[in-house]
Amino acid sequence: MANNILVVAEARGGDVRKVALEVVTAARALADGLGGEVHAIVFGGAGIGSVAPKLGAVGADAVLVVEHDGFATYNAEAVAATVAAQITSGGYRAALFGASAMGQDLAPRIGAKLRVGVAADVVSVTADGTDIVVRHPMNTNKIIATMVLSATPALVSVRPGAVTVGASVKAGVVQSVASAMDPSAGRVTVTGVSMGGGAKLDLAEAPVIVSGGRGLKAAENFSLVEDLAAAFGNAAVGATRAVTDDGWRPHSDQIGQTGRQVSPDLYVAVGISGAIQHIAGMRNSKTIVAINKDKDAPIFKVADYGIVGDAFEIVPALTAAVKAARAQG
Amino acid sequence: MSGQNIAFLIVLTAALGFFSYNIQRLVSYLRLGKAENRLDHPGRRTWNLITIGFAQTKILRERGAGLSHASVFWGFLVLTAGTAEILLHGVWPAFSYEAILLRPLWQLFMLSQELFAVVVLIAVSWLLWRRLVAPPKRLQGKEIHGAEAVIILCVIASLMLTIYTTGALEYASDPSVRATHFGWFRPISTGLGALLTSVPGRHAAHDVSFWLHALLVLGFLNFLPYSKHLHVVSSLINVWFSNTSGPGQIGVMRAMDLEAEVEQFGATDVDHLSWKNLLDGYSCTECGRCTAACPANITGKPLSPRKIVVDTRRRLMEKAPLLAGELDVPGSAALFLDADGGTAALGNVLLDNYLTEDELWACTSCRACVTECPVSIDQLDIINELRRGLVLNEGRFPEEVQPTFESLETNASPWAFSPADRAQWSEGLNIPTYAEAFADGKRPDILFWVGCMGSFDDRAKKITVAFARILQAANIDFAILGQEETCHGDPARRLGNEYLYQMLAKGTIETLDRYEVKTIVTFCPHCFHQMGNEFPQLGGNYEVIHHSTYIERLMDANLIPLNTEHGKGLTMTYHDSCYLGRYNDVYSAPRETLKRALPVLTFVEPARTESRGLCCGAGGGRMFVDEKVGKRINVERTEELVATGADVIAVACPFCMTMMTDGVAKLEKDVSVMDISEVVAGQLLPSRARELVAGD
Repeated sequence: MANNILVVAEARGGDVRKVALEVVTAARALADGLGGEVHAIVFGGAGIGSVAPKLGAVGADAVLVVEHDGFATYNAEAVAATVAAQITSGGYRAALFGASAMGQDLAPRIGAKLRVGVAADVVSVTADGTDIVVRHPMNTNKIIATMVLSATPALVSVRPGAVTVGASVKAGVVQSVASAMDPSAGRVTVTGVSMGGGAKLDLAEAPVIVSGGRGLKAAENFSLVEDLAAAFGNAAVGATRAVTDDGWRPHSDQIGQTGRQVSPDLYVAVGISGAIQHIAGMRNSKTIVAINKDKDAPIFKVADYGIVGDAFEIVPALTAAVKAARAQG
Repeated sequence: MSGQNIAFLIVLTAALGFFSYNIQRLVSYLRLGKAENRLDHPGRRTWNLITIGFAQTKILRERGAGLSHASVFWGFLVLTAGTAEILLHGVWPAFSYEAILLRPLWQLFMLSQELFAVVVLIAVSWLLWRRLVAPPKRLQGKEIHGAEAVIILCVIASLMLTIYTTGALEYASDPSVRATHFGWFRPISTGLGALLTSVPGRHAAHDVSFWLHALLVLGFLNFLPYSKHLHVVSSLINVWFSNTSGPGQIGVMRAMDLEAEVEQFGATDVDHLSWKNLLDGYSCTECGRCTAACPANITGKPLSPRKIVVDTRRRLMEKAPLLAGELDVPGSAALFLDADGGTAALGNVLLDNYLTEDELWACTSCRACVTECPVSIDQLDIINELRRGLVLNEGRFPEEVQPTFESLETNASPWAFSPADRAQWSEGLNIPTYAEAFADGKRPDILFWVGCMGSFDDRAKKITVAFARILQAANIDFAILGQEETCHGDPARRLGNEYLYQMLAKGTIETLDRYEVKTIVTFCPHCFHQMGNEFPQLGGNYEVIHHSTYIERLMDANLIPLNTEHGKGLTMTYHDSCYLGRYNDVYSAPRETLKRALPVLTFVEPARTESRGLCCGAGGGRMFVDEKVGKRINVERTEELVATGADVIAVACPFCMTMMTDGVAKLEKDVSVMDISEVVAGQLLPSRARELVAGD
């Protein structure tokens, strides 16, 4: 009991988010190391209990469901009060959050209520004997701090994308838990939620991004980039500021200093020279492929693979190659 | 004293009294603004008054309209002497300059009146024709009061005509004065009068003409406080109090005490501005030269610097009477208020009710508006204060600026690069850092301040290396700060985030002082301006030299081993950086540097150049704000530069470099963009350069 881990599983629109599955995966490994169980607590409107199997599939022994219409959107006060009460009554060793906008808001509130610190934005959380050890990148990822958490309960927020969702099927026994306070009685009322982006694959979550720049010469030539993205199947389309300022693509597609900052597994830069404005938004991508006709283009300085040549020849060939590779499985 | 004289005295007293009342009212409104000392450097201010005010130097930047205005202005100065005589004469018929001046002097005076009235008439006719028949773009716009201008021009024309009719009718109706008061020195009145000697009713007509002239003068005077033509009264005063051409370093943002216990940082309404900003409002006659020169306005953005000033005046005229309880002031906005007695209007603010955020964020801080204003209004000062109000008081700024603020805070660079990578460009170049030099017990002569662009942008790094090679070739004892260099915060300051700016600037000053830095050279005009001109506000005093000036000095001293014998016959143009040119008056150094490095060069200038040069679009923090509306400024500018037929566009600023490079790519032109140091480094004598780069 004293080595159980509580995970606050972030849900939105009636479903759990990817980050929730990541955090449960991390919690599973931690609980196994400490010899405890993983309990995932999930807040939502009517029917939110239906997500329990998903959480069980990645390692939750129990799923604590807090169902109330007032939790259809994030309700900081009531969620914090309920989670704090649950940690105290359940005697948990640690509580894990996703270091998402919600988790970053929630964890410190609970830390303040319980008078313990928060290890924020960690990339790993593991057991070392009876200790909990976390790793936290600092100074723009130049340094990684390794910290041993002595407080009980330990509050930890895990960076989205840092943990790969695993498969460790557990029962995911559903328990219903009452909110510690009436969600509608709080001091904050959510009157509406406005979301950026659209129906497309979100740039921040796409594992592959294909981006086009000025080198594509005209808006209609973006079909080359779109075709390549479609061939990957899991790719989003990005653009440089020059392109979005010229209206070739919507501003929401912009990657760079004044647009989105992304770090996909694979970033394909087509006809992008690599001005600092753009580099600032994509240089943390895991693998960068650049296609540009100018061999001196600065983009090649940050690229892992560079192709010097005409994008209008190379990109269709690449699209065909990706399609062929995927057809072979 | 006749009955007519008494009547005149009453009219004159009433008119002067009402004028005086209005001026006092307007002066009292200025007290709504914050206190600010503008009495320093009286000599310099008087010089501004003589050159910009009386000699009309800034108005004459535009030839046609400038000459017309100067003619009317100088004409008025001369004719005002005559007007004084006429008004005195109305009260006391015996008074005349003739009685107190030597006759030749008096004749000269009379001649000046007649001739200047012609000059004014010609100028006014041309100005009227231009307003009514062929108005230039800058005289259009919804914020301007065009009808007022037409009324005023017609009144001026009538004033001139009644000078002649009064004189001519005096000649016609009183034969006794013809010999003594008329002749060659009053050619028009005399000639016209000779035609009227037998016209019936000429006596009465003379009196009517005299009264008409006097009433027009007094009417004109009392119309001024209610119109944009208040500038007739206020602009000379405004020029004297203005700092836009000095005294002090121009282009420096106001110092701000963040420790002060105030409820308001920056401005959101007129009472947060200084009294001088409000006087600017009185002095604007809506000529629109600022707006016509504004790169944002030219390319279709919502900003009009004229509207900033006009709206400041409009809001003052709304708010001040309400606060003063002057609900019944004739002509004040209070008269047109709703039944609530102005409560709603008091709740208005300059920001939002008059000006929008989008207008303020469109500004590139290029100073073109300030440079053009003939009466030394500082539009940019108002914009900067309002941006501070937006950011510091309300936390409102374009969302895409957030990463810049965040990165400045955490990485001390607008872009999220690691400080550890700052000196990557110098690998293998054998350039010491200050830390290394100090460890060896050395004190370098010169700090080469690289700047964030020069440290992190791969294109700008080439400028960094080129300039370092020049310094090495000239055997300069210099060092860099390397990983210890941090942004000085200028982008944050221009974006209104004074708090972040001061944090960064103070940190930078600490580093510089720790290394006992005296002299700094940099190729970034923004670093140059900030560290040289604005750091003294925070106690950082260094000699900061832009590389254009520094290279020119090295060439003067013959320290740069250049191959000037060979080279291609290039055609080159130069794009002026705002922070180098309009902010610091550096125009010739970069041009001279280019011409000396490349003697076979054909140098061509774009249409808008030097103090009239068009901004690249990246100033004022615009580098970090998306350009969503209108044509892109860099494209407008690049088109103009490409139109010169140049093979190379030379720049002297890494921000201009980015913008021009993108412009050329957009236009798909085979034109290269080079920094002046790259041009010079390309001419370094090879053997010596190679030896120096090797460093041993």
